[in-house]
Amino acid sequence: MTAITYLEAIGQAMREEMRRDESVFLLGEDVGTYGGAFKVNVGLLEEFGAERVIDTPMAEAAIIGSAVGAAIMGMRPIAEMQFIDFITCGFDQIVNMASKFYWRSGIPAPMVIRGPSGGGVKGGPFHSLSPEAWFFHVPGIKVVVPSTAYDAKGLLKAAIRDNNPVLYLEHKLLYRMPELREELPSEDYVVPIGEAIIRRPGEDMTILTYGAMVHQSLKAARTLEEQDDMSVEVLDLRSLVPLDREAITESVKRTNKVLIVHEDTLTGGVGAELSAILAEDLFEYLDGPIMRVAAPDAPFPYAPPLEEAFLPNAGKILVAARKLAAY
Amino acid sequence: MPTPVKMPRLGESVAEGTVGSWLKQEGDWIEKDESLAEIITDKINAELPSPVAGRLAKILVQADETVAVGVDIALIEENADVSSTPAPESAPGPDAAPVKSPERADVAVMDRQSASRDSNGSKAAAQPARIGEEERQRISPLARRLAREHDIDLNDVPGTGTGGRVRKEDILAYVEQRNAAPSAPLPQYTAPAPAPVAQPAYTAPVAAKAEPVTTIAGPDEELMVPSRMRLAIAEHMVRSKRTSPHATTVVEVDMTNIAKWLEKNKEDFKKREGHSISYVPFVMKAVCEGIRKFPLINSSWTEDNKIIIKKRINMGMAVATDAGLVVPTLYDADQLTIAGLAKQIAAIAQRARANKLTVQDMQNSTFVVNNPGTFGTIISVPIINQPHAAILSMDSVVKRPVVIEDDAIAVRSMMYLCLSFDHRILDGAGAGGFLQATRQKLQSYGREIDVY
Repeated sequence: MTAITYLEAIGQAMREEMRRDESVFLLGEDVGTYGGAFKVNVGLLEEFGAERVIDTPMAEAAIIGSAVGAAIMGMRPIAEMQFIDFITCGFDQIVNMASKFYWRSGIPAPMVIRGPSGGGVKGGPFHSLSPEAWFFHVPGIKVVVPSTAYDAKGLLKAAIRDNNPVLYLEHKLLYRMPELREELPSEDYVVPIGEAIIRRPGEDMTILTYGAMVHQSLKAARTLEEQDDMSVEVLDLRSLVPLDREAITESVKRTNKVLIVHEDTLTGGVGAELSAILAEDLFEYLDGPIMRVAAPDAPFPYAPPLEEAFLPNAGKILVAARKLAAY
Repeated sequence: MPTPVKMPRLGESVAEGTVGSWLKQEGDWIEKDESLAEIITDKINAELPSPVAGRLAKILVQADETVAVGVDIALIEENADVSSTPAPESAPGPDAAPVKSPERADVAVMDRQSASRDSNGSKAAAQPARIGEEERQRISPLARRLAREHDIDLNDVPGTGTGGRVRKEDILAYVEQRNAAPSAPLPQYTAPAPAPVAQPAYTAPVAAKAEPVTTIAGPDEELMVPSRMRLAIAEHMVRSKRTSPHATTVVEVDMTNIAKWLEKNKEDFKKREGHSISYVPFVMKAVCEGIRKFPLINSSWTEDNKIIIKKRINMGMAVATDAGLVVPTLYDADQLTIAGLAKQIAAIAQRARANKLTVQDMQNSTFVVNNPGTFGTIISVPIINQPHAAILSMDSVVKRPVVIEDDAIAVRSMMYLCLSFDHRILDGAGAGGFLQATRQKLQSYGREIDVY
């Protein structure tokens, strides 16, 4: 068995699910002949044919709308966004159709919308988006964000099998990251949606994070242990909707200090909601203010030094964590 | 037959203690080792565990009153019948305790703080108001909840967070200290109780609570009520100056080789040992050497005009914390290597800053090394930590042009060692000899130093 990348784990999940269930199919721009803009889907067209791996026109509203139609007719479509930034063109189909269909009609719309999100690859303002906050806000759609190869596969399988629309946000920076290669179980497995995981246990502070920032947070936690003798817990949320409130509560009750880290911009981000939950439910367990490390409220920059300055990283997490520790 | 509760000796040089507050009211039932009162001394604040289970029959010393160690401060009726609540009227305390017959009428249902104020009667009105709860502004939500759960008065907890904020570790340290209190030695049960009359030197506490003088701030002034720790330090300093005729003498030490060694090995040492090393353990080591040659440095002048020479060298080290100055003890410093001293110094300083010092940490020191040099000072005149015979200040190590052998001028790392000594015990010859020996030890190191 070989260790596979985060990207290969996504491809594997789709292949295995398409083999397992004939109602599963993939549609999107260049997903077939080209194998996907990032080659996530290589080999799928050859194995499953053009009826189940469908190259579509450049029209996200049509891709997502078709997926909604297929889903309510009993299929389990996977709609790929070439870059997640383009999901905005299909916004209406998600927030007005997919998310409300079961509510309105009692007919489920089991579908997955997935695509490369996140920055750090010099993609500029239209190829670096972290769009989770928009959909996090919409009732009726689940949102998952894997940070490891194991989770990439397990969460995608869970998303495909889920009877609700699921937005699956893969991070393009993690696609081929060598340190994320891992051997995955040969047997079928899923990572249940709605379960966070402690990536690093600690006692002095909890970092709530997800996606690529899990790795930056872990890096900061290691430094804090070495240099500051601090034991920092890193809780990878994995699912943003539904949130694993139990895991968050359990961790925060133990550590009493919380730092929230996300790559998305600050205002109205996932961190804002997490912060509100903590203030409402766990106020008397807090030994310091709830702090956030996030991108500044600005469009994603293109120039590499600006991108570097824009994105949260281990260094910025360290500064915030030290401030919180001293509080 | 009620059991008397005596003012405990919380620290070696502590001859008296103040009842900070009573945690039980007269008539309350108390378990053995349950906290009875809060005792404040210049060394430590601690909660006094009840020696027996029973009913608190009578409070003999009211809150904010100061009495000598060994004086009865309360009476506890063992196996008291629950119904026989009234406090015995006929139990005056031992002669010297400043007992008042408190008005018992209406304090029973009041909360502890107001009760302790009110039961002071008219005296309470004359003394400066205690720091009110409202003045403690910085408390984390968690700390507030924990304080409530552990029934802690937040005014008693020094905060170590930013801006003096009370946070989780402060409360936990306080609780730990409170829990540790039962194990604190209560020597009055084993040692002969000191005469209940306080020694003459100690009769005028700085706080001068009873004086009816009320200071009022002028238009361009601000009135600050010092913390208990500040008051305790003030009292100790005045007492020390009044007790010992201080004389101070200074030597200059060439620290070049040690400075170079530190420069070269400091980082590696920290990586290897997990804590840093500074000039302090070198100086402590040398001081031990000096004390070996001049044992009178490690002694005390007693009340009956004798000199007690201490065989153990327990080094007090002054540590500045957010709450104030504390001088915890590094036991048997002469038994440790330089690296061993560095380790102990780091551990004690950390406990001090985390407010986790124990009673044990705060007593039995025989000599103090103070390091104002960290603040860049070049000469200091320290005040003796009673009842020691002397105190040493080490000031900054600075590079100076120095005339060395052959009348050449060289750049050397120089440091002043300033010794204040009790002139009753020592003369210039003894003090100078000790400094000489200490300096010789410090200058004896070559380029390669084995700290282990």
